[in-house]
Amino acid sequence: MKKILWVTLFLLAAGCVACTHNGGRSNSTAYSFAVDIPEGWRRIDRPYLLITKEGPFLQNIMVQNRFIGRSFRYTKKKMQKKMLPEEAAQIIIDEYASDQNIGNLKVLNNSPADINGHDGFKILLTYLGPKGNEFHTLYYGFIKADTFFNLRFTAGGRQNFQKDIETFKRVLNSFQVIKANKS
Amino acid sequence: MITRLCKFFFYLSCLLLSGLTTGCSTHPEPIASDRLLTNADEQFLWQKAEEEQRVLESSDLIYPDEKLEAYLNDIVAKLQSQTAQSDLEIRVKVIKNAYLNAFAYPNGMIYIHTGLLARMDNEAQLAAVLAHEITHCTHRHALRVFRHFKDRRSFLTGVQQALMANKGLQKLAQNIGLTGSLAAVSGYARELEAEADRVGTELMTRAGYNPKDALSLFDHMISEIEQAGSEEPFFFGNRARVRERIDNLQSLPADRYSRPRPIIINSELFLAKLDQIFLDNARLDIRLGRFQAARRSVEKFLRIKPDNTRAHFLLGESYRQQGQDSDIPKALKSYNRAITLDPNFAAPHKALGLIHYKKGQRALAKKFFESCLQLSPNTPDKAYIKGYLRQFTLSEEG
Repeated sequence: MKKILWVTLFLLAAGCVACTHNGGRSNSTAYSFAVDIPEGWRRIDRPYLLITKEGPFLQNIMVQNRFIGRSFRYTKKKMQKKMLPEEAAQIIIDEYASDQNIGNLKVLNNSPADINGHDGFKILLTYLGPKGNEFHTLYYGFIKADTFFNLRFTAGGRQNFQKDIETFKRVLNSFQVIKANKS
Repeated sequence: MITRLCKFFFYLSCLLLSGLTTGCSTHPEPIASDRLLTNADEQFLWQKAEEEQRVLESSDLIYPDEKLEAYLNDIVAKLQSQTAQSDLEIRVKVIKNAYLNAFAYPNGMIYIHTGLLARMDNEAQLAAVLAHEITHCTHRHALRVFRHFKDRRSFLTGVQQALMANKGLQKLAQNIGLTGSLAAVSGYARELEAEADRVGTELMTRAGYNPKDALSLFDHMISEIEQAGSEEPFFFGNRARVRERIDNLQSLPADRYSRPRPIIINSELFLAKLDQIFLDNARLDIRLGRFQAARRSVEKFLRIKPDNTRAHFLLGESYRQQGQDSDIPKALKSYNRAITLDPNFAAPHKALGLIHYKKGQRALAKKFFESCLQLSPNTPDKAYIKGYLRQFTLSEEG
């Protein structure tokens, strides 16, 4: 009984550490960008910046810099330096559309966007995940030198999407390129 | 001890089964052990298959084309008339998916992907794939696999585990279900697949097709998989499994299947019946970045309908989206041809606008963007086009 109690206490403590609310600014040298991390959101250990408030399946914000020559998972298309934002947006839509794990993909909006002075695109998508749950994704992206920068907000269900969209916009507005390089 | 015994009987049954199948004659007869649906195992499998098909049919994966289905079902009827299993109703439907595959449920429902159909050149190749799938149904391969497992739960867990190994297929597994996935992704044991090759070849030969046509299809598939440099997620997109098909067909004694009768190839009829598949699948291949495959499909279509606007536009897209400067003149040629054939089709105007915009040819770009907006004022990409036009205005003012 005593042993079970200690294990439970340990697990609770470990859970608290994992749930630490971060906030602050991410300008780690691991990335080529800096963004403000909202209060109450925590990082999840990934090769890109992934933050969530209540768990990645409920809502997450992902910020990534990737070398334009790097292949995507599903489409074999590649980003190119001289690509227009519209062409880059098409590759992202094709990547989602080619993913066998998602269904009923709908592109609700695809338009040019200014991402803190960078000419890019904005796509709003809805789709069903592997277990049939609905997801909403707002995806911003632009190409600078050899790097494709992207910021996306994904939420499970419309309600979760509406709840944190303003938080995502604040993250988007705080975004700054530190250095466009390969990753 | 009990576990050891179970394992022993399991391996014994595997051995017996492989002995049965390898020892099978090449007569296209189904297992005559018992009649259809007279045992609980088969009833369970059929019930599961029907449930899974209802989910699949309600998804957006089915390619809706009744005339095409009727043509495919006619070929199935021609092939099935060569079997003894006439009480099993076998039907075919098409799935919108650019990956190479076809699979059968135990209750006789066959699904074939647009991707596999688009790679074919004639009816004989189609008959080869259908005859293979028909044999899985008539020879009750799903039931034979099911009986390898000690109970229903371990069967379902086994298939589920195989699917979980392929993380890219969870959504698909949800749509086609476990019995569908078993056939679609991993295929059956080597012996059962060999039986489907052997019996299927005899079915198609008896129905008047030349089995050598199947070889040219599988050869083409192998070279495409090798060219792509990566394997596809399904059975017919797996290099090793397609190689097995070729080896099995090549190992069949040639004289056994040569019949002094007219050979059916039906290239023209096949191309005419599948024309829309070639275009629709080319669009899926362009999305996947498989530009060469897309071009081959469009070119096949253009052999039947050389003046089709949409086909010329798609050919242009396959060149432009590939992003090589050397392909741009070919893209221009295709878009211009599309506009000549139908000046009111907005999409090639937009594509020409983009090409000229990137080349810095502002006057031409402006002309095509404006004509696109005029032809299709509510085009989904109007925000981009208006943005380009706004830039032109600003630079003129500046």
